[in-house]
Amino acid sequence: MTANHAAEGTLGVGILGAGPVTQAIHLPSLARLGDLLTVRHIMDVDAAVAGSVAARVGATYSTSIEALLGDPEVDVVAICSPHQFHAEQVIAACRAGKKAVLCEKPFAWNADEAAQISAVSRETGVPIIVGAMHTFDPGWLAAVANWGELPETAHTIRSSIVLPPNARFEDFATEIITRPAAGTPDYSDAEVIMAMLRGGIMGLAIHDLPLVRRFTPDFAEVEVLEARIVRPFGYVISLRTPTRTIELRAAMNNTWKPEWSFEAFSDDAALRIDFTPSYVQAGSATATFSRAGETTVHGPFAHNGYEGEWREVAALATGTKQPPSAQTLIDDLTFALDIAEATVACRYADQNLQQAAREGAHA
Amino acid sequence: MSPQYTIHATPEAREAGAVDLAVASLPASFGPAEAGSAAVVRVIAGLPGWPQEAVKAIDGGARGIVVVNPAAESVGNLLEAVEASGSAIVLDERWASHPAVAGAEDAVRTMAGRAALLDSVATAPAGTGSGELLAEHLAAVVRLTGSLENLRVVSSGTHGYTVSGRLANGAPVALQGVLSRARPAGVSISMLTDDGGVSVALPEPLAAWPATVKVTGPQGEILLPTLYESAHRATWRRLKEHLDAGTAPSDLAGFARLTAQLAQLG
Repeated sequence: MTANHAAEGTLGVGILGAGPVTQAIHLPSLARLGDLLTVRHIMDVDAAVAGSVAARVGATYSTSIEALLGDPEVDVVAICSPHQFHAEQVIAACRAGKKAVLCEKPFAWNADEAAQISAVSRETGVPIIVGAMHTFDPGWLAAVANWGELPETAHTIRSSIVLPPNARFEDFATEIITRPAAGTPDYSDAEVIMAMLRGGIMGLAIHDLPLVRRFTPDFAEVEVLEARIVRPFGYVISLRTPTRTIELRAAMNNTWKPEWSFEAFSDDAALRIDFTPSYVQAGSATATFSRAGETTVHGPFAHNGYEGEWREVAALATGTKQPPSAQTLIDDLTFALDIAEATVACRYADQNLQQAAREGAHA
Repeated sequence: MSPQYTIHATPEAREAGAVDLAVASLPASFGPAEAGSAAVVRVIAGLPGWPQEAVKAIDGGARGIVVVNPAAESVGNLLEAVEASGSAIVLDERWASHPAVAGAEDAVRTMAGRAALLDSVATAPAGTGSGELLAEHLAAVVRLTGSLENLRVVSSGTHGYTVSGRLANGAPVALQGVLSRARPAGVSISMLTDDGGVSVALPEPLAAWPATVKVTGPQGEILLPTLYESAHRATWRRLKEHLDAGTAPSDLAGFARLTAQLAQLG
């Protein structure tokens, strides 16, 4: 089989980072879009991984960013490396004159980095999208098209995520090589708890925080009321803005049964979106509107948000669609960062109160 | 054929408890008392002061009492009166009295030692009082889980509430109330364990909608049998069984524990 046999006239894709997300999510999604996109270059710091993954799709491989960005066959770049490298790699891809950049979430670690990226994108004219896959899911897009005034009138928002270990779905999607080792956290260590909460928000809640933000016009005033962890990994976080109640739930355990939902309620209407699990090509989310005795369902549709992302990248690269507002990406990021920081601060405050209570009891 | 037990309901209780429908669905067991004769069963609305009304009914010779939607009250005196008289008191609670709760309780308590999270959402129409909804919500949850620890109101307002607590094994509990007319009122309770859990959805007692109780484990998921019976009718059926057998329902003792839990919330 010659993987690039049908590559004529398609956009060349280069991928930075060849870990499980690339193997189990992006390559299968791109395999469904052979008429639009062809993987031409895989880069990973581990040459064996890069070579093995590239061989699956008949692509070139390398261990340096410069080699991938200098490859004239690469039109669009996907950044799937560890989070701390995202910002510099997005900027480098823009400066290399690529046609579009897809960056896994989060695309930066602070607002300054986000602003720099935005400025470079504006200067170079290279469009950037962030891989918040649910915002590209046809089920979500159907909700957007039909929600009327709900984002303005909603008063309560819920995001609830129950997931098996990633490996369960990675193995349904591909044959993975190299997985990061999983450790057992020390739950008695306050810093471990803080890291779990921060990681929970920036690694898991962040999938749906852009959705939450669409229903939260006063998102800049978000306040964390309570934050707790769920073992072995997860969180229960209560947020509030002057006009919204926001509840975030997540649990990753050893169940086989995933459940991933987003809900918004006003006095008279409610929206529930049930997403399919990550990794597998199980079609889109289903959006259900309820309005006092009437229920309207949109979806499911045949593709998921990951495929939606790549369709968007192709449309941006060929100029058939305009890029999202840079401010939207920056606002989504700062919303997540604000919640992560406020959550950690809330836990420190609780911990200090408990410590003071213990000291008082012993005085 | 005359019904086995005659009843008398106050107008408020009759409406709140859909008493006519419930009794009509148990025609051999219950029926209205003849004018001028004392009813065997008295039905009272659970408005503030209901324990005093119940004591009066016992003093008047009632062998059975149904309390519809009981408000949080101290029931110490009533418990003493019940013990002395041997009368049977059953509580007709919005969600906690659904017939599926017994099976759900077994499932939850079997797995509670391994619980990682209990997340529950109650919905009721906009305009419902948050405190009223929380009392009904907590009654359903506590019925399944037993007493909760460290209960605390995280937020409360015109659109609902969030209450946090924990199970006996330390797992977090999150109770959320949402006030909206968008969906039928109901309560969902999800308890997750390391490899599965129990999910429960309890409907309104307005109709004989079945609850959904699912138990998930490594081998798959079991849907407990669907019971097409409302909380109202299930309450009356329980009362009949106690009256027939001469046994004492545990409703009041459970209600005392619930009231203590609500008192923690202030």
